[in-house]
Amino acid sequence: MPRETQAEENFTLDRCPACGRMRYLNHDMEFRVSTICYHAICTVCIRNNFHQGPSKCPIMSCGKTLRTKDFKKAWFQDLGVQREVDIRRRVATVFNKVEDDFQDLDSYNAYLEDVECLTDDLVNGDDDKKKLAELKLQQWEAEHRAEIERNRRLANESEATRRKRMAAEEALAQQRRELEIQEEAEEKLQERKFREEMLDSLQQGEQGKANETVSKILLKKRGQHKKDVALDAAGAPALSIRGLVDKKRTATVLDDGPYDPFMGLDLLPTRVDVSRERLAQYDNDTLKKVKMDDAWKAGGYSAEEYLSRALFEAFAGLGVFVDEEMGERGVSTQGAAQAAATGATGGRMDID
Amino acid sequence: MKFYIDYMCDLKSTMSEIEKALVELKALMKYRAEQLGYEEDFRGLGLTSRKNLCLHPSVKREKSGAVVDARCRSLTAGFVKEKKDRGENVDVCVYHDNLDLLEPHNLVPNGVWTFDGILRYGEENKQCPYFTMQYCNVVIFSYHYLLDPKIAERVSRDFSKDCIVVFDEAHNIDNVCIEALSTDITNESLHKATRGAQNLERKISEMRDTDQEQLQTEYQKLVQGLRDADEARQEDAFMANPALPEDLLKEAVPGNIRRAEHFVSFLKRFIEYLKTRMKVRQVISETPPSFLSHLREHTFIEKKPLRFCAERLTSLVRTLELTNIEDYQPLQEVATFATLVSTYEKGFLLILEPYESETAEVPNPVLHFTCLDAAIAIRPVFDRFYSVIITSGTISPLEMYPKMLDFPTVVQESYTITLARRSFLPMIVTRGSDQSAMSTSFQVRNEPSVVRNYGDLLTQFAKITPDGMVVFFPSYLYMESIISMWQSMHILDEVWKYKLILVETPDAQETSLALETFRTACCNGRGAVLLCVARGKVSEGIDFDHQYGRTVLCIGVPFQYTESRILKARLEFLRETYRIKENDFLSFDAMRHAAQCLGRVLRGKDDYGIMVLSDRRFLKKKDQLPKWINQAILDSDVNLSTDVAISSAKRFLRTMAQPFKAKDQEGISTWSYKDLLEHQENSRSDNFRIREFVGDQQAFGAPQNVDSDLHEYDDDELDQEMMQMGMP
Repeated sequence: MPRETQAEENFTLDRCPACGRMRYLNHDMEFRVSTICYHAICTVCIRNNFHQGPSKCPIMSCGKTLRTKDFKKAWFQDLGVQREVDIRRRVATVFNKVEDDFQDLDSYNAYLEDVECLTDDLVNGDDDKKKLAELKLQQWEAEHRAEIERNRRLANESEATRRKRMAAEEALAQQRRELEIQEEAEEKLQERKFREEMLDSLQQGEQGKANETVSKILLKKRGQHKKDVALDAAGAPALSIRGLVDKKRTATVLDDGPYDPFMGLDLLPTRVDVSRERLAQYDNDTLKKVKMDDAWKAGGYSAEEYLSRALFEAFAGLGVFVDEEMGERGVSTQGAAQAAATGATGGRMDID
Repeated sequence: MKFYIDYMCDLKSTMSEIEKALVELKALMKYRAEQLGYEEDFRGLGLTSRKNLCLHPSVKREKSGAVVDARCRSLTAGFVKEKKDRGENVDVCVYHDNLDLLEPHNLVPNGVWTFDGILRYGEENKQCPYFTMQYCNVVIFSYHYLLDPKIAERVSRDFSKDCIVVFDEAHNIDNVCIEALSTDITNESLHKATRGAQNLERKISEMRDTDQEQLQTEYQKLVQGLRDADEARQEDAFMANPALPEDLLKEAVPGNIRRAEHFVSFLKRFIEYLKTRMKVRQVISETPPSFLSHLREHTFIEKKPLRFCAERLTSLVRTLELTNIEDYQPLQEVATFATLVSTYEKGFLLILEPYESETAEVPNPVLHFTCLDAAIAIRPVFDRFYSVIITSGTISPLEMYPKMLDFPTVVQESYTITLARRSFLPMIVTRGSDQSAMSTSFQVRNEPSVVRNYGDLLTQFAKITPDGMVVFFPSYLYMESIISMWQSMHILDEVWKYKLILVETPDAQETSLALETFRTACCNGRGAVLLCVARGKVSEGIDFDHQYGRTVLCIGVPFQYTESRILKARLEFLRETYRIKENDFLSFDAMRHAAQCLGRVLRGKDDYGIMVLSDRRFLKKKDQLPKWINQAILDSDVNLSTDVAISSAKRFLRTMAQPFKAKDQEGISTWSYKDLLEHQENSRSDNFRIREFVGDQQAFGAPQNVDSDLHEYDDDELDQEMMQMGMP
């Protein structure tokens, strides 16, 4: 990309704070920023001051010892932000966990906040805080060396695939564009050819039969139109799934335990109590006989079964609205169509 | 048949149109009350900004709308009232506080309230008209209020799902959608945003010293998720989120922008990045993913916190209890931009233009973040409301709109016009009196013969047209050049003999003055010709009825400026995504504007006028005109030369001059009660026959003019239901 090459030179000043030379008189002035104290001086000053080895920063109030290799180009005009970004770069290479490494969102967010606090301390904190944060950073690096390495590799890989995908999409779009332009040109050519053909045949045709000639040609044209092939849509880009690890883990855990065909669905009625004791209390003349006479039970007949079925049948229809279901299904039969037309029944309308 | 609508929002484009619609509605309701014999329980209102409605003696004197908004908020916000209740000495607005004493659903008596009416009522009863405007049967407001995500949530929250949304004058709806989601960022706005961020930083450190608790509670809320924080103080939510996906709102804010100071430094980094990007001296156009990856490379800003940017800022502003919101407007813009750029991968494009024009030397970079897909802005509307009607007099071809806005229509219908006489004469003039072709295409537009022929056309029509005449040009630039050429050819001197000449300019004040003079000249018999631009203010929403417009002359096909990068990107997108060809779209767009111009002249059944399309290229585009115009173009009125056109216009004007009584229209374009009954009888028997013929399924009546997504009603059933609803 062109911007990568030229974006480097973004930081400029009109006057070098060290030697006082002005841009107005020296068009080709370039500036470098020290990565230690973030003072900017012109390249000439750097050569003069540091070519013989380390020396003090030419800015009076600073007094830090710098070397030539400490100076580099700045991307941002605001050097405070430049410094912050440099620190962030360092932090990001160490704290490079991604969302996939965490069990849930809360812990990921907590991690992000911790990192942010550490960065903030490094950027804005006083000396004590800075030291503490520095220590923490080094400690973490020492402890998680393997993990950091692994994450870096993964990030590189995903970045590469992403780039590849984008390039592929771009190429595909380009291809489609070219195809379309080609098609358009072809269409135009066809049109011209058709017109010429028409004129030719009119010219050559017999006198007084112009209409027939024209219709013949039109028929030919229509036949050609049918041959048009539709361009199939571009293939879907490669799928990539990201997210918390937790989802995958819960999926595997669920597999334990005995197989349940109803997936935990409980068929027992919840609103009525049909336990054996309750049903036994129910009194009815017909049932009394059944309860008294063991001969009834011999065949397997059970009064409780009968009662619970009766209850089920009585309440099963609640919550089902026949009218609505009819409406949803649409008026499909002849009789229903008639009924709807006269407005006699018809689905109840949904008004709030 | 009784007709009753529970909720309806009618969407119009300008305030004067809203006022006009309200007056019409008022007349209708009065007529209904007369006919029915009782007043219905009905309320109709318009919706507009605080600036137009404020009654507070000092606030209403402010000139800028943003200032009025800010001051109003500082007087009416929830925390101000809390402070007052605690006994602190703060200013409040008496008009607003009086509303609390009233029942929230019954703030104004029934009736239709125009803006003037509601202002007067508010003054009498000392209540605020702006906050009164809720709970109505019909609400009329500009469709920016529904499409612009920055304000949509606030306005449309009060409308229930089954309210009927009507987009009137919707021929331009795709452009409004796109405008609503596009942002332009300049160096100046970035500077202001930086200042806003610094202010925020200061406020935060102040608050940390005095009121640590507030920040801590906000932090706690953010740990849990955005929605809770949002609901807590929704009443003064002045900056709503842009089109955010619903799942985002349910998720917790990412950890690295949870703390206020972290978030501000995050914003500062983002703004600094944008500033650096703006320094590039070449045109860049890139997609959001590429922008994001570059951003990440240089500032370590990830996509996810960026998505939460707008919401997070709103929450922070609320916590800090800031009242001078206009200072943070640029910052809010940047935050909105951040959210949008990270939310949508497709349908948006970033275009950086370092120079204003091709020849400019001094850089003035603008970062256009343009929405290319009109469907994105309007999708929430379709998702939310069951019935959406899109209608306009010049919406054609119909198929283009569902394609561009990406929705299926339930009913789509184009109607012709019913007129008792041929009251308008559309003509296509392609040649001048000397038989040479006329066109405003780039190759020939400045040729003397073309300019002279157009001038001749103008003079001839100025000669025969009574009273007012309107001329439309494709662009300001062309209008200026052709006027100066006419001046040197002494054509304007000729026109001057017959008509006063007035010109539209980009300046609204000047144009309104010109319009006023035009009206006066048309009324007192001097006659005038107004030269204006097909995409200007005049072509949208200003009526030239009766004597104000007897002839409309459309000089050239009003194509868009095709060299614009934004337009090019949009064309590319339309082709890639919706398979709409560039030329199709351009010609569709030009023709809808041409139709809009032509429609200015015919505003009623007793009106008449001549419509002239003068360009060679109109010949092929004739079919793209709306049905009612296209059907009225006779084959003999196509491909005319100036002299032939003039003679047929003369004939037309002579017929129109014959006396025409209202009685002549009866039975054709105006119906009495008897005619209506007869028609009902006819259509019912027709329906019956069809039903018998088809036998089963879906032979239901005439198509209703409703684009409803869910229900298909039987006519009779609908009537019956309406009856029941209307019966008190």
